[in-house]
Amino acid sequence: MAKQIDHKAALDVQLVAASQAGDMIAFEELVARHRDKIYARAFSMMRNEEEAIDLAQEAWVKAWQRLKQFQGDSSFATWMTRIVINLCLDQLRRQKRTRAESIEQLDEELGGVERQMPVVATNPSEGLERSELRKRIDKAMNQLSYEHRTVLILHEFEEMEYKQIAKVMNCSIGTVMSRLFYARRRLASLLQSLKKEQQS
Amino acid sequence: MNTELKLQALVDGELDAREAREVEALLAQDAQSAALMQELNWTKSALVGNDAELALPETREFFWSKVERAIAIEEKQAAAAPAERAWWLKLLYPATGLAAMVAVMFVVSGGRTTDGADSESVTEDVNAVSFRSESEKMSVVYVADENGNFSPVSEEVKNAPEADK
Repeated sequence: MAKQIDHKAALDVQLVAASQAGDMIAFEELVARHRDKIYARAFSMMRNEEEAIDLAQEAWVKAWQRLKQFQGDSSFATWMTRIVINLCLDQLRRQKRTRAESIEQLDEELGGVERQMPVVATNPSEGLERSELRKRIDKAMNQLSYEHRTVLILHEFEEMEYKQIAKVMNCSIGTVMSRLFYARRRLASLLQSLKKEQQS
Repeated sequence: MNTELKLQALVDGELDAREAREVEALLAQDAQSAALMQELNWTKSALVGNDAELALPETREFFWSKVERAIAIEEKQAAAAPAERAWWLKLLYPATGLAAMVAVMFVVSGGRTTDGADSESVTEDVNAVSFRSESEKMSVVYVADENGNFSPVSEEVKNAPEADK
């Protein structure tokens, strides 16, 4: 018989072990603990509340089905985040196949646009409150294409290396570097514009 | 890798020691590269720890009820899947039996092909007779009962005309 645990007080590893043994209450506790983070990652990639909720839900269902495969090599939160990232990438690829790319997006994909951007000479985040900086970053991220936004999220927020990003995005390391470079340059430019807007 | 991407790789700590030294030497000489390097560093540091913090816009109970329901549906479908396979297996067994019977017929007939002529094979030990007609494209197996009366137990017609199918 499975060992009884105090679900509220249990560590993630204990809840995972209980869930792997079929304890749905333990799994519910894991969902409750990490649902905001998983949803936030889905939203940051999809930029759509409804889609983010659906994908977050799908991620939890997948997690339950694959729970036996979780060996504890990373934290449960990291493992869950990888699941939702993969679901988001699949969804974005499906969407990309069905929508026409704008000329601007094609330019971004081909590269070269970033070289035309003047270098930002003052720190665009200097003197900003953290909440204000977060708002601006979010606004700027919204204006990036999904490829550039995703590569930034994976590198800066998920702390993935170039080769790991190339693997999950199914592209070369060179493409990852190129996208990351463009994304950073564009983000710097957007943050500077937002700063100028506020000053004027 | 071009210089710009090397600068970025330096920011990200993705260069080995030798490459890093080369890029640092370049930065000391080239003001434009140094300015770009600074911009890349600003952008990177602005993002650190500033991932948007969002809360799922549904209550714990409501969201869990959806997850729980979806899990139940998936498990129900997964349980139904073997039943569907079993349905295919039901077809597989008679097909295998039929194939085995054809193989037995082939062995009993000696595996010979004739030039359009009919052939008959009698094996006293098994008390069975097979009849094979190339012209009619058919084979029949007769098995004797305890009184020694032969009756057909199977027949197979090969390459039947399309209209007969």
